[in-house]
Amino acid sequence: METIKQTQKKYGSRAMSLAIIVAMGLIVLGEKAAGKGLILGTLFSVVNFILIGATLPRTVGHKKRAAILISFVSLLLRYALLAIPIVLAIKLDQINIFTVIIGIFMIQLMILVDHLPLPLGQKRASS
Amino acid sequence: MTIDVQTWVKVAAFTGGGLAMGLGAIGAAVGEGHTAAQANIAISRTPDMSGDIFKSMLVGQAVAESASIFALVIAMILLFTDYASSYIEISVVLSAGICMGLGAIGSGIGSGYPAGAACVGIARQPAMSGRLMTNMLIGSAVCQTPAIFSLVTSFIILFTDFSGRPINPTWAAIVGAGLASGFGGIGSGLGGGLVAETSCDGIARQPETVTPVTNVMLLGQAVTQTTAIYGLLVSFILMFKTFEATSALAPAAALLSAGICMGIGAIGPGIGEGFTARSAVDGIARNMNATAELTRIMLVGQAVAESTGIYSLVIALILIFVV
Repeated sequence: METIKQTQKKYGSRAMSLAIIVAMGLIVLGEKAAGKGLILGTLFSVVNFILIGATLPRTVGHKKRAAILISFVSLLLRYALLAIPIVLAIKLDQINIFTVIIGIFMIQLMILVDHLPLPLGQKRASS
Repeated sequence: MTIDVQTWVKVAAFTGGGLAMGLGAIGAAVGEGHTAAQANIAISRTPDMSGDIFKSMLVGQAVAESASIFALVIAMILLFTDYASSYIEISVVLSAGICMGLGAIGSGIGSGYPAGAACVGIARQPAMSGRLMTNMLIGSAVCQTPAIFSLVTSFIILFTDFSGRPINPTWAAIVGAGLASGFGGIGSGLGGGLVAETSCDGIARQPETVTPVTNVMLLGQAVTQTTAIYGLLVSFILMFKTFEATSALAPAAALLSAGICMGIGAIGPGIGEGFTARSAVDGIARNMNATAELTRIMLVGQAVAESTGIYSLVIALILIFVV
C-alpha cells in the first residue's frame, strides 16, 4: 500500500499533467485566459491536497469535538488559500473564472477517475 | 443617514457571501472531524495499519470537502463582483449565498460518514482496503449531488437577468428558489451518507457481500436524493416562471412560503429514507440470501417515508400556481 506522500504525488502529478496538456490546447485555440485559469486553479488544488495531508496527523489523537474544531480551523485556512485564484480570476480579465473552478476540483476528479471506472461487481485487488 | 440601492446590494452580497461560506464550512468540518474520530478508533485497534488508514482519510476528506469548496466559489463571486443597482439584485445575491451555504451542510456531513467507516473497515479487513476505498468514494460522490444542485441553483440565480421582471413578487420567488434548493439538500446529503457508511461497514464485516451491498447502497442513495430533486424542481419553477406585477404582499408571501415549504419539507424524508436504506444494507451484509426481500422492503419503506416530501411538493405547487 502506498504512503500518503506517494498518494499525493500520484494525484498531484496526474492533475498538473492533465491541466498543462488541456491548457496548452486551449492556448493554441486562442483561449489564453481559459488555459491560464485551468493551470492556476489546478496548482492551488494540488497545494490544498498537500496541506490536507499535512494537517491529518493533527486531527488524529484527539476526541471528536477537538477533531472537529481542528478540522474547522484547518478548513478555513486552506480555503483562504483556495480563495486566491478565484479572487484573481474575478479581478483580472486575463484569467477565466470557470476554468479556475474546474482546476480547483482537478484533484477530486483524478481520485474519482482512478476509482470509479471499475464495474461494481469486480473486486479491486488491494494495493 | 440615507442608504442608496447600491449600498443595499453590497450589504446583501456581503451577507450572502458570509452565509455561503459560514454555513458551507459547517458540513465539511463536522464530516472531516467525524472521519478523523473514526480514524482514531481504527488506528487504536491496528496501529500497524496507520499508513493505509491515513491514506483512506486523505482521499475521503478531499472528496468530502467538495461541497464546501462550492460554497467558497459562490462566496468569492458574491464578495468580489460588482452588481447592478436594483432592488431585485438584493434578493439575488442574498438568495444565492443562502442556497449554497445550506446546500453544502448535508453533503459535507454525509460524505464524512463513509470516509470514517472506510477507515474503521480497513483496520478490520486490510485485504479489502482497495474495494472499501472505491465504495467509500462512490458513496461520497453521490452525497455531493444535493450540493451540486445548490451550486447550479446559485449560478442560475446569479447569472439570470431578472431586470425585466416586476420587483414584487419576483424578489420572493428568487429567495424562495434559494431556500427550496438549499434546505432541500440537507436531508438527502445526510441520508445518502448514512447509507454509504453502513455499506462500507458491511463490506468490512462480510467481504463476500460486496456486490449486493454496493448495488443496494446505490439504489438506496438514489431514492434519498429524490427529495433534493423536488427542491430543485420548485426552485426552477420559481426562477423561470414569470409572475405578474402586484403591489399586494400576499402573492410574494405565497412564493416565499412555497420555497420554505419544499425546502424544510424535504429534510425529514431525506434522512428517514437514509435510515431505511441503511438498515437494508446492513441486513444484506449480514444475510446476503435475503437481498431481494430486503431490497423490496427498503423500497416500500422509502416510498412511505417519501410521502411527506410529496405533501410538501404539492403544497408548494399550490402556493405557486393556485394561491
